[in-house]
Amino acid sequence: MTDFMKLSVAATAAAKKAGAEYADARVNLLQMESYGLHNGDLENASVSEECGLGLRVLVDGTWGYAATVGTDKSALHEVAMRAVNAARSLSSARVKRVTMSEDDLTSGEYRTPVREDPFALSAADKVAFLQSVDKGLQGEESVVARDVNLGIRRERQWFSSSNGAEQFQELVRTGAGVSATAAKHGIVERRSYPASFGGDYRAAGFEHVRSLNLAEHAEQVRDEAVALTSAPICEAGERDLLLMGNQLMLQIHESVGHPNELDRVFGHEVDLAGASFATTDKLGEFQYGSSIVNLVADSTVEGGLDTRAWDDDGVKSGRWHVVKDGVFVGYHTSREWAERIGETTSRGCNRSEGWYNPPIIRITNLSLMPGDWTLDNMIADTEDGVLCDTVKMWSIDQRRLNFQFTTELGWEIKNGKKVRMVRKPTYQGNTTDFWRSCDAICDESHWRLWGVPNCGKGNPMQVAEMSHGCSPARFRKQTFVV
Amino acid sequence: MALTKNYGLGSEALLDAAVELVERAHERDTVFEAEATVRLTVNSFARFADTGPTQSAERAKLDVRLRIRREAGGQLFEAAASGQALDEIAMDSLIDQADSIAAISPAVGTPIELGGHVEVSTGTCDPATLTHGPREKAAAIKKAIAAVRAVGATPAGLFDTTGSAVAIANSKGRQVRNESTRASFALTVTGPSEGGLGGSGWAESIRSRVGDLDIDSVIERAIAKAAIGQERGAVEPGEYTVILEPAAVSSLLLFASYYGFGAKEVAEKSSFLCGRIGEKAFADSVTIIDNWNHRLHKSCSFDGEGSPKRVTPLVTGGVLGNPVTDRTFAVKSGGVAEDSTGHASPQPSSSGPSASCLCVEPGESSTAELIAGVKRGLLVTQFHYTNMIDPREMMLTGMTRNGLFLIEDGQIVRPLKNLRFTESLMRAMANVKAVGSELDISGALFDGEVITPALCVEGFRFTSSTDF
Repeated sequence: MTDFMKLSVAATAAAKKAGAEYADARVNLLQMESYGLHNGDLENASVSEECGLGLRVLVDGTWGYAATVGTDKSALHEVAMRAVNAARSLSSARVKRVTMSEDDLTSGEYRTPVREDPFALSAADKVAFLQSVDKGLQGEESVVARDVNLGIRRERQWFSSSNGAEQFQELVRTGAGVSATAAKHGIVERRSYPASFGGDYRAAGFEHVRSLNLAEHAEQVRDEAVALTSAPICEAGERDLLLMGNQLMLQIHESVGHPNELDRVFGHEVDLAGASFATTDKLGEFQYGSSIVNLVADSTVEGGLDTRAWDDDGVKSGRWHVVKDGVFVGYHTSREWAERIGETTSRGCNRSEGWYNPPIIRITNLSLMPGDWTLDNMIADTEDGVLCDTVKMWSIDQRRLNFQFTTELGWEIKNGKKVRMVRKPTYQGNTTDFWRSCDAICDESHWRLWGVPNCGKGNPMQVAEMSHGCSPARFRKQTFVV
Repeated sequence: MALTKNYGLGSEALLDAAVELVERAHERDTVFEAEATVRLTVNSFARFADTGPTQSAERAKLDVRLRIRREAGGQLFEAAASGQALDEIAMDSLIDQADSIAAISPAVGTPIELGGHVEVSTGTCDPATLTHGPREKAAAIKKAIAAVRAVGATPAGLFDTTGSAVAIANSKGRQVRNESTRASFALTVTGPSEGGLGGSGWAESIRSRVGDLDIDSVIERAIAKAAIGQERGAVEPGEYTVILEPAAVSSLLLFASYYGFGAKEVAEKSSFLCGRIGEKAFADSVTIIDNWNHRLHKSCSFDGEGSPKRVTPLVTGGVLGNPVTDRTFAVKSGGVAEDSTGHASPQPSSSGPSASCLCVEPGESSTAELIAGVKRGLLVTQFHYTNMIDPREMMLTGMTRNGLFLIEDGQIVRPLKNLRFTESLMRAMANVKAVGSELDISGALFDGEVITPALCVEGFRFTSSTDF
């Protein structure tokens, strides 16, 4: 047993001794490196390391949590007493006791498969890599901001619970992206590749960054940013909507993932993030989407940002349908919430941001299964539509129904052909109308995972990561607004 | 947590550590300049819902950041490293990491030397806030749950108390430290049926001292906003005169804080200030100041470079002023580094300076008087998930939440189902017809808070509706 696992086990023992009915402890060591070139300057070059202990206890049917920086064993008693006393004090306001599903917690080790260790690559090589990509962004006077970003992280976690589980996980996440912002005639437009807000992240090594071929795409990013400043605004009206994967993934995230979190369904997130229209009376019957829509949650899929062996309840990962043939059939749950829908075991979705935060239900990797179209055929089959590419802006209501999204770029499609580029394509709709209008999904050759490294939830807010797999798809008669 | 003993946050000890880290870095021949930032956060929160307390934490964390600069041939090369410990091994590790990356970094584009000695306020730490624990929070939560259940509704909320201490030291003799506390209590009330009678309501109180929170008022206001038992009507999307309460104003203005009032956005032509500085673009009644030292809530007195935060007028009588700066953008704007308005992020960073303490100057009418002046319009409590479509016009979209009401002939006549707005902040601020007199502190879904009164805005554009 490693020293950190010993510390974790000692923490749960201290909690039990202090009076906890149940306890689990996480020792987390998080190492990150981030580099960002802005207009050729290395504006961000930083490395960081965080290490601490979080201890969760159940006392008198109420949760308590205490966390402390570092790994000082002498602090364990104080941390345990703080957690237990918090739970005991708060239990005076308890209305319903917390109960947990009877999952069989196992012990073991898990490591993200990595072919090229991103931490082994020197900082000099990483910066040189970014500089080589930046070259492709140069050469246009109207480009006022060129950005190339790279981020790597490795999180090691030593989890133990008072019912004997000892789990070690090492999760490695790597990502990069490029963007150009052009300003002309008072118009400012940004273009990004392969995704906006820092790029695309994956549970993998540096081989993922190399596979993105950023240098090969940089010139196109630059040229499209410039072209957008002269492009017409996407007109308002009702047309078919074709979404590329780097936009559709956010649609999955916001209109299927979040409303599927069972704590949100029961109003436990309503104080900030909101509630959910996908209430339990709809489970098993509700037509969430058209019959070709299959959405699968999978915390085992290769490369997923939430691919791991166990969640922070210690429950093993799994794969299940959330929407099957268009029908709503499953939720994201935790040990605390599974029984609310009559399930005896958790889906393993309880996660926390590091040692500092208690776990809450989070979306895992959630993907739209591929169909049988090619993108060319889907465009050729569209009489009047807009092909929307790359997230620019998103907003969705507190029950996850009314949404409005804007993408970086759109292509108008007339009579089966892409006819012109448009800027700020903005579409507004309703979650169920949207998914029910899906009549074409591209095949497996177009399918890939897209990483979401910045999902906010909780109060105080925590950030989590997950991936969404999809291929481009078409949604009939959507409303575009200006 | 040991650093919180004796009811203090120990910012003096943090400053000593920062100075030691800088001195230790200078023991290396390679280090030209260094800047150390040490931050301690002590937080206690309890979250609650229909089942009682649902989550809580008693926690503390230490963040240490070291910025290292090398010099060669008149050029500077820099990098930063962060950790969470202050022992000798940890300090040496930070120095190694930052220095090794600085060694391979390209030269800094605009090499501005670190700032020297300054005098800043060290702030105050409220002992009662710092020691406020689960037992005290449980009493307030119990009271809120009982009050909400008594009207047949469901509660959810958060009671949070935080103490923060930060110290910065650098090679040029800059040594600054600050302590502050913050307390908040928020309650959301959900009626028995979201789709029928009774909607949802919300209220929050944020202050520097936990004793200044008005818990009873929060409970009363949140329940009133839920309008339990009243049928909610519907109005068509379109343009309406609106009374935006402070939380709604906050979720709009925060985007100007994130993306508009900073000198970097102006330099890169993405700010709404571009081409408009000195113009009267907002209504006469709109004056916005970045003020870290507001009487309702004081934040840190210095920025990420240790520069004193200046109370900076951003909009005066509707006229747009200059953007806020850091040391780099003070020079890029034609001045010297010491002209910095004190709005830097910790450096090096790809983030430019930002105005994070926005305060809207109050007017003379109470919120009730603002409502009384509306022939037909809407009262908006809060916006949800506001986001930005376009930075130059500050085109924003979001949903109303937790209390939308129809106003007719100066009276609130009924609660309404929610609407989505799509509106330019520029246009909305130009259409402000009256500014309220009652200030409050409010945040939104994303980071940040604004101190503002309610605003009356004409012709505010709603673009779609909901059935709840």
